[in-house]
Amino acid sequence: MAKAIIDGTEIEVDKGTSILRAAADAGHEIPHFCYHPALSSPANCRMCLVEVEGMPKLMPSCYTQVSDNMVVHTKSERVIKAQKAVLEFILINHPVDCPICDQAGECKLQDYYIDYDTQDSRLRSQKQNKVKAHAIGPEVVYDGERCILCTRCIRFCEEVTETAELTVVERGDRAEIRTFPGKSLDNDYSVCVTDICPVGALTARDFRFKTRVWLLTSTESVCTGCSQGCNIHLDHFRNEAQRYRPRFNAEVNDYWMCDSGRLSYKELHADRLLAPVINGAEANWYEVCRNTANKLTKAVEAEKNIAFVVSPQASCEDLLIAKRFTDEVLKTDSLYLGGKAAGKADGFLRQADNNPNRRGMEAVFQDRAFKPFSDLIEEIKSQKVDVLYMMGSHVPVDADSRAEFLNALSNVELFILQTPTQGDLSEMSNISLPSCTHAEKSGTFVNFDGIAQVFQQAFAPKDGALADGEILTRIAKRMDVDFGYKNLSEIQDTMFNIPEPPPAEVAEETQTEPSAE
Amino acid sequence: MSAKKTENTVVVRKVVRRKMNFAERTYIPEFAKGLAVTMRQFFKNSQPNVEKRDTFTRMYPEEKTVYPDRYRGHHRLMLRDDGQVRCVACMCCSTVCPANCIHITAAEHDDISIEKYPSVFVIDELRCIMCGLCVDACPCDAIRMDSGEHIQPFGERGEAFLNRDLLMSKGSLSMAVQGGENG
Repeated sequence: MAKAIIDGTEIEVDKGTSILRAAADAGHEIPHFCYHPALSSPANCRMCLVEVEGMPKLMPSCYTQVSDNMVVHTKSERVIKAQKAVLEFILINHPVDCPICDQAGECKLQDYYIDYDTQDSRLRSQKQNKVKAHAIGPEVVYDGERCILCTRCIRFCEEVTETAELTVVERGDRAEIRTFPGKSLDNDYSVCVTDICPVGALTARDFRFKTRVWLLTSTESVCTGCSQGCNIHLDHFRNEAQRYRPRFNAEVNDYWMCDSGRLSYKELHADRLLAPVINGAEANWYEVCRNTANKLTKAVEAEKNIAFVVSPQASCEDLLIAKRFTDEVLKTDSLYLGGKAAGKADGFLRQADNNPNRRGMEAVFQDRAFKPFSDLIEEIKSQKVDVLYMMGSHVPVDADSRAEFLNALSNVELFILQTPTQGDLSEMSNISLPSCTHAEKSGTFVNFDGIAQVFQQAFAPKDGALADGEILTRIAKRMDVDFGYKNLSEIQDTMFNIPEPPPAEVAEETQTEPSAE
Repeated sequence: MSAKKTENTVVVRKVVRRKMNFAERTYIPEFAKGLAVTMRQFFKNSQPNVEKRDTFTRMYPEEKTVYPDRYRGHHRLMLRDDGQVRCVACMCCSTVCPANCIHITAAEHDDISIEKYPSVFVIDELRCIMCGLCVDACPCDAIRMDSGEHIQPFGERGEAFLNRDLLMSKGSLSMAVQGGENG
């Protein structure tokens, strides 16, 4: 342990801690561009210079370790002079094109200029012209003039993805970030460089010019792209998700997320089913619940074979309702496994299982056995299934088997589908019920590691959509079964309620981001 | 004038009126005097020189009102030297607009030095409250309200959505240097 005094605050930190981290712990912000908590410190931006008593020159606080009895000043006259000089140096060739820059509003250079500089430009000569809107990769656009050469992106590609596509070319005021010859910034995590870029030099092609960041509202959510369950900020504007941004969680995704997960927000708004449909005609919820309940009551009384497809895409709360629905309303134990087909794991964040809540589903349904989806196709073909109730329109089989499944569906007497999207499956169904996406409701996903993570509702459900659990509760009520839940927290209290040690350790809902980032 | 306190404490005040003379009692000269005032005003206010009239009423639309120099009128979008739109779609105006009446969709421009331009720029004039904050917020002198025209009445709601080309048709060149003086 090392004891130091930073701006009069005495603090004890582990040996090897940088002054910047120690100051953050002590509650003093030190401005920095090149330092990132998940990357190495090159100390090249010189923004974090601090005065250490006994040392002749100002020291870069991101690189200098705290030693015993160190006395540090972060707001002394020398430091303030250095900070102003560094910002003036960076701004010599910066185009200050904030009106057209996508980073404006979340730009470190803007913030630090207001906090530490606020002096007029003394430059009267022509600014260096560099590359504009250069496609450095398929998903990332590079602007050389805005770049402050902090090299965070280079270190990200070297240290995190270990693909090392980027480097600095040229020298002095002509220096730029470029890919190595013949390479392109096309790794699966390439858009992360736009998150760590402190200025607007690297921008995401997908988000480019789409909206302004100050218009966005951010909701803490979880990515549903795979079973990793990366923590995200769901940024939305006027009831529409605009982008996903990784949210720090040391146990799950650190500061990162993959590109395909990041772009999966588009699924939230594609081909939405907007109203309940009975045999091709739109209906209201009252009508459709009554109709569905009548049909299901008849089927249960006639002891028909009812198959229920459970989706590991649904939240734990919805799955608990689904479990009680199958037990108490449908009285069936032929459960089949739905969800998306498995993909490929990449050994970093991306998991092979494309369903965000398989562990949660297993935890909620406990010892209930699921039959694979291929069995369902066989049983429908041999006319063993009279009624099919399906959660979600994803099927975990390849395209041929899916076509086979669609053909076989005519053997089913009654096909009820609960889905956010419309497509061939919803057209084949007798009754299709519009359900919410995860952005439109709150709930819990348990990731592949067994960490339960809460996601919050970002905006109101699209048109007539309802949460899966709400739909099942309404139908059950029509069939004289009341689950008796008043709100979501009552479901959450009981969903993992089992005598044995819990299968999922409930982690803290959100981890606070260290103030140093 | 005399006042007498009665038992009911009601104050009775007797008004002594001036007696009219014979000419006044005939009403004719007084009638002519009154008509003279009316006719003087009539001719003064119907003279062609608007500025010399006593009234503020104008024979609109034949006579146009003269607005003060800083009158906030019809919006217009200023132009670059080559006639393209000056606006860079930074959305400062739509952000600051208290009536939420400006709708912009940004797009990538083919010219790399322009980079960003508004492919859609619509002002809903029925919503606009003429506060002028959009003009204050604009960093590149692209939107102005100095056209000196007031907003015409609209027959249908759809007519009030003024699109980019219509706003540009009222625009002109700006004195300001596009991109700032050091740009």
